[in-house]
Amino acid sequence: MEDEVEEQSAQVLDPTKFKILPGASEDGSAASFQLMNEDHTLGYSLQYVIMKNPEVEFCGYSIPHPSEPKMNIRIQTYGKISAIDALESGLDNLIDLCDVVEEKFIEQVNSGNYKSEEP
Amino acid sequence: MNRSSEQGPEVTIRRVGREDVDFVVKDMDLALANSFRRVMIGEIPTLAIDLVEIEINTSVLADEFIAHRLGLIPLESTLVDNLLFTRDCDCDQYCDKCSVELMLSARCTTDATMDVYTRDLMVTTVSQYNNYDNNNNNNLGQPICNDQEGKGILICKLRKHQELRLKCVAKKGIAKEHAKWSPTAAMGFEYDPWNKLRHTDYWYEEDANEEWPKSANCDWEEPPRENEPFDYNAKPNQYYFTVESAGSLKQHDIVMRGIDVLQKKLAGIIFELKVLDETSEKSRLDTEFQGTAYGQTPNPEYNWN
Repeated sequence: MEDEVEEQSAQVLDPTKFKILPGASEDGSAASFQLMNEDHTLGYSLQYVIMKNPEVEFCGYSIPHPSEPKMNIRIQTYGKISAIDALESGLDNLIDLCDVVEEKFIEQVNSGNYKSEEP
Repeated sequence: MNRSSEQGPEVTIRRVGREDVDFVVKDMDLALANSFRRVMIGEIPTLAIDLVEIEINTSVLADEFIAHRLGLIPLESTLVDNLLFTRDCDCDQYCDKCSVELMLSARCTTDATMDVYTRDLMVTTVSQYNNYDNNNNNNLGQPICNDQEGKGILICKLRKHQELRLKCVAKKGIAKEHAKWSPTAAMGFEYDPWNKLRHTDYWYEEDANEEWPKSANCDWEEPPRENEPFDYNAKPNQYYFTVESAGSLKQHDIVMRGIDVLQKKLAGIIFELKVLDETSEKSRLDTEFQGTAYGQTPNPEYNWN
């Protein structure tokens, strides 16, 4: 599964996808990132999981202009981890969370423990 | 962290219909629930007619009118992962690797009006992914005809001597670009049916409780006690989804692929982060973080302010 994801990403590798914006702190504990072609679908969830990290002081996202497919995300940590680490662990956690939901859904579908209408 | 974050979300399927699934997700944050909703509506790749070459159109409808209608027809997309997006394909306009061709040819020769239905659309691409022995059920690009007579959607009506002959090219796409690529016809999403969180405000003439009908999901949650004080710490926790398929994908597929799409987005960013690892920007941030480069003059190539 992971190899598959990697392979797919490699196929569509896009160097403009991810950018560090100006305004990072000297020690790297605070930084802003820009993601291309992302919106509230990712932004709000990502902000939520990153904020769940007790090492993170602040995380917020914004879409600066509705006509531009850009999403900015700002992360500030208390200083024990860097902003990039916080972002990375946030992404990992969100993937794990998705895994759980998908697993439970498939489990439920297979259990057949629901009302159904046949065609 | 509370119990929910340790055990993870819970899913209960309440009902599965012919083309819909109704399920409840518990112990999840509103942010993630909304991401699932958004991704299921707008970002799952499906197949839809994107180019139409009209050879003959003597019907009463204008070319572009018919082309638009054709675009909205749901096409079987279960195997769409085998196709490339045209933008990622090396072909000039379209090819077998990134598209499916369909033909429509109808001519009315009788005095009675002739109805042209989506079942009259013929898939002409011989795809290696299709399983032709299996009664054409999963064939990529096959128009969905879920009605009882199996006719599908009415495309147009022809009078005597009127003719319609055209070639369609169906391409892979997502609904963020055009709603015709959406696999979901309707998406039910509700939380807090008793409005305990006051996320909504009911308009009323005299009494909101009298005038507004109760949500069907109210049975799944405790009604508020009388004169219950407002709990400003409360957070939504239970979400009611109803995913109704437009036909191009099975309802369960929509849910699972939705989650997959979201994960692939995240994995894509992680990958980009790793690529960035090798570039100066991240290593600069990292070395600085360890305190070695503290107070050094900023990289002249990068404007930190």
